[in-house]
Amino acid sequence: MSYAYLFKYIIIGDTGVGKSCLLLQFTDKRFQPVHDLTIGVEFGARMITIDNKPIKLQIWDTAGQESFRSITRSYYRGAAGALLVYDITRRETFNHLASWLEDARQHANANMSIMLIGNKCDLAHRRAVSTEEGEQFAKEHGLIFMEASAKTAQNVEEAFIKTAATIYKKIQDGVFDVSNESYGIKVGYGGIPGPSGGRDGSSAQAGGCCS
Amino acid sequence: MNSYVERLLDRISNGKLAEDRRNAMVELQSVVAESNAAQLAFGAMGFPVLMGVLKEERDDVEMVRGALETLVSALTPIDHAKSQKNEVQPALMNTDLLSREADNISLLLSLLAEDDFYVRYYTLQILTALLTNSPNRLQEAILTIPRGITRLMDMLMDREVIRNEALLLLTYLTREAEEIQKIVVFEGAFEKIFSIIKEEGGSDGGVVVQDCLELLNNLLRNNASNQILLRETMGFDPLLLILKLRGVTYSFTQQKTINLLSALETINLLIMGGLEADPGKEANRLTKKTTLVQKKVLDHLLMLGVESQWAPVAVRCSCASDTLSSVCEAPGKIIKLCMFTVYSHFQALRCIGDLICGHPKNLDALGSRILGEGPQEPALNSILRIILRTSSTQEFVAADYVFKNFCEKNADGQAMLASTLIPQPYSMTHAPLEEDVNMSFGSMLLRGLTLSESDGDIETCCRAASVLSHVLKDNIQCKERVLRIELEAPMPSLGGPEPLMHRMVKYLALASSMKNRDGKSSTSGNSYVQPIILKLLVTWLADCPNAVNCFLDSRPHLTYLLELVSNESESVCTRGLGAVILGECVIYNKSPEAGKDAFSVVDTISQKLGLTSYFLKFDEMQKTYIFASASSAQPRKPLTRSTAASMADIEDVDDSYLPEGKVDHPILSSIFDSLFVTLVKSLEADIREKIVEVYSHPKSKVAVVPAELEQKSVETEAEYIKRLKAFVEKQCTEIQDLLGRNAILAEDLAKTGGGSNSQPEQRVGGASDRVQVETIRRDLQETTQQVELLKAEKVKAESEASTYRNLAGKIESDLKSLSDAYNSLEQANFQLENEVKALRSGGPSTFPDVEAIKAEAREEAQKESEAELNDLLVCLGQEQSRVEKLSARLVELGEDVDKLLEGIGDDVGLPEDSEEEDE
Repeated sequence: MSYAYLFKYIIIGDTGVGKSCLLLQFTDKRFQPVHDLTIGVEFGARMITIDNKPIKLQIWDTAGQESFRSITRSYYRGAAGALLVYDITRRETFNHLASWLEDARQHANANMSIMLIGNKCDLAHRRAVSTEEGEQFAKEHGLIFMEASAKTAQNVEEAFIKTAATIYKKIQDGVFDVSNESYGIKVGYGGIPGPSGGRDGSSAQAGGCCS
Repeated sequence: MNSYVERLLDRISNGKLAEDRRNAMVELQSVVAESNAAQLAFGAMGFPVLMGVLKEERDDVEMVRGALETLVSALTPIDHAKSQKNEVQPALMNTDLLSREADNISLLLSLLAEDDFYVRYYTLQILTALLTNSPNRLQEAILTIPRGITRLMDMLMDREVIRNEALLLLTYLTREAEEIQKIVVFEGAFEKIFSIIKEEGGSDGGVVVQDCLELLNNLLRNNASNQILLRETMGFDPLLLILKLRGVTYSFTQQKTINLLSALETINLLIMGGLEADPGKEANRLTKKTTLVQKKVLDHLLMLGVESQWAPVAVRCSCASDTLSSVCEAPGKIIKLCMFTVYSHFQALRCIGDLICGHPKNLDALGSRILGEGPQEPALNSILRIILRTSSTQEFVAADYVFKNFCEKNADGQAMLASTLIPQPYSMTHAPLEEDVNMSFGSMLLRGLTLSESDGDIETCCRAASVLSHVLKDNIQCKERVLRIELEAPMPSLGGPEPLMHRMVKYLALASSMKNRDGKSSTSGNSYVQPIILKLLVTWLADCPNAVNCFLDSRPHLTYLLELVSNESESVCTRGLGAVILGECVIYNKSPEAGKDAFSVVDTISQKLGLTSYFLKFDEMQKTYIFASASSAQPRKPLTRSTAASMADIEDVDDSYLPEGKVDHPILSSIFDSLFVTLVKSLEADIREKIVEVYSHPKSKVAVVPAELEQKSVETEAEYIKRLKAFVEKQCTEIQDLLGRNAILAEDLAKTGGGSNSQPEQRVGGASDRVQVETIRRDLQETTQQVELLKAEKVKAESEASTYRNLAGKIESDLKSLSDAYNSLEQANFQLENEVKALRSGGPSTFPDVEAIKAEAREEAQKESEAELNDLLVCLGQEQSRVEKLSARLVELGEDVDKLLEGIGDDVGLPEDSEEEDE
């Protein structure tokens, strides 16, 4: 149970893009082709290792439907990382990314690391959004990008772990004040605390999400 | 009053001098705090003005503070003794008005970020007032405000006064609001709650700890997600820390008891799990139970429920239960306090029972647990001691529940307990009470079973009997083992040792004789003694011929039982259970011995009771409240017990102590659980069948063999006649016998409402059965037909589905080939375009080539079109001749050919034209 750090994640994106399936694949290593609509918010957790340090990920999977937007917004501020998911076979889910991002920028803390995920990349024959477009969007908005498949598990681990690695690096760089738990980061009992308190004012204001 | 409030409001909104406006605010606050009329007047016009102040004048801390204080006053009911009940409560109206606008709530939440302490404090008070009166509206509003809950959560880290206020507010806010519960947890509520509890001193803390636990319970109640989160992050350790009792003095204040009760409720909620019908729920529950036991929750519960019972507590406990039993006469706070204390033991024991139920590992854990620091002993022994010694019936029931769950489907556990049941010398079983720490489980139980006879109190014995019945249940080895136990007689002069079972029957008789002697009034508290001993016997005899044999070894037993069953002064349940035991003596009787076999038992029943009235006892018992209610909750498992708030449960305890003159003691409904009721019901069916069978086929004493009636060749006449005479004599006695039985039957019929009534009743019963069977058969047929129909439909649907699937596949492949074709076309196009581009940019050097290609193409096209033209000409020729022929024929028939062909000529011309254009 002991961990060096605990990171809180949220998963956001349009309904039906496979957020819950990504979480299930990551926490339980299985795929459920038919998944009930998420109501409100669901929770999952897993332990990973970065730089030989045990890191606990707490992941809140949110409902994509518009009617739950006000509920899910409550989860933005306290999250250290967000997985913003779209469906490569449904163009409109890609088109909505800007509004999701705006929501996140408005309600989340400025240092939240956002990972853009083009899900369902196993359905290449039905692709409606090219990899290049995804890359381009991520570059423009300072996000990390990956295409993944909750069905084949391709890049699922990587997506969660890479986000964690980004957060971890930010801690090492002193971007976060880890003693303040409202950033979605907690120093564990079992781990060695990072260089906490050693944050420099300039990087705290950096604003960019990708280092 | 109206105009006064109005003037003040006017000064606040339109005043020029800051000082004057502040004064007006102070005045307004004091008048609103004191008078209902002012509250009413304020509600009618004040809100916009004050909200304006809060919105526009944030910098003027004094004004903001004043406005908030005024709002608090406007929302606080004025407690006038003279106020009438049906009068409008202006404070309630005002909360309604204020909460109606979501903007107001958002404004209030934003004030929580202010630096001024009083601003935050008053704001929290206003929010709490709103939440108390219109919780749903506020819960909804707060969800729509981003960071609304986050702000409230921040208050938990504020100064103590603010923190406590925020805690209360969050408790209201999280009631039955799953989404809010999740957000609160997301914001780190678990960590904060446990850190506050720790700060406040755990279970020794004050009402703040109680609030914390209430909030915790709100967050976990029916919320699987939050329960998982607690397990995944904090684990159960901090919770168990609360239950852990420190020190040796177990003096519980009322607050501490409530705190412990709340923590026990938390454990209960965790055992219960979430609401949803998740198939993985059972597994999840088992994991949780395992984790809890690994986390030593069992130890803490035992500590709380069992160990703290030792010496110093015994006094308190008995005092508590004395007050408990007199609760109906003198209700009061002190009694409640005592009840809480007892109740927390009771609750801890219940928790233990739930933890082990159906969980083999936890069963083992409990079975092998050792308690105590000085003299050590197994936990089960301690629980047994509670059963034998507690003066609280509720506690006895709770501890009994632990044993019931321990023995349920746990043959190894039963065998372990039974293996220690070794008869002790008389001196040992009557050793002083205090020495029982060194005793084995079995010795303790045996002592409990035999202890009380000397002082005539068989209460302890009946409790031990209840435990014994759990040990024997469904376990033939244990039953046989305990059958062999013989007890020394209290005094050697009274005869040799007797089997334990006989002793139990003796107590049964003793209980009823005591009841008869004392009269009804004083025995209401003891009226469960007989049923519990009867339950033991019913459980023991079930499926165990040796036990039946042992029971019937003593002739008076049957007589006594028959008396018991026919005794009108006994309760319906007692008589019914007696009847069940009589029945068991028939159906599980393997004895060949005359006078002890099934036939003689049936005979005795019919002679002494009459079969009809015997069967009637079953019917009466089934109709009693206990049996009817237990059977209606048939599939009930102990775990799905409702987790009503602890206070409500305490009320129930209250009720059960009201001597309502009920025939059956209230605790019987927990002793006669659904499993026992099911057992009795299945026994009843077997008994009815077997008794009728036995009675209608009496063992015939004379075998009639036709060959024997013939004179044998070696026989003389005289010998033959003698033999026949003997034979006839035998038959004669048998006929006498049968006549006797017949007479008994007739008498029985007459007794139970006249021959015309009951016997036909049976037959009618048979007939009605037949009718029922008929209807059921018809139903079955119909259902089968329906099933067939549905099956056919299903096959049809399936085949349709597969055709559609095929169709879909085909269409998809079509689509794919189309898109492929399109892709290749596009590709070709792209290539061509490129070529063209290249050609264009290529310059004059490539020109000759183009010319050559052009010429080639033209040639080819010409050739092609020439060939096509030829073909067309041939076709035209053919058509021409055909037309001519047809025209001739038409002319013959008198038609105007030219008119008919008028339009056609143009059409025919067209292809030729286009052909020419192509050229």
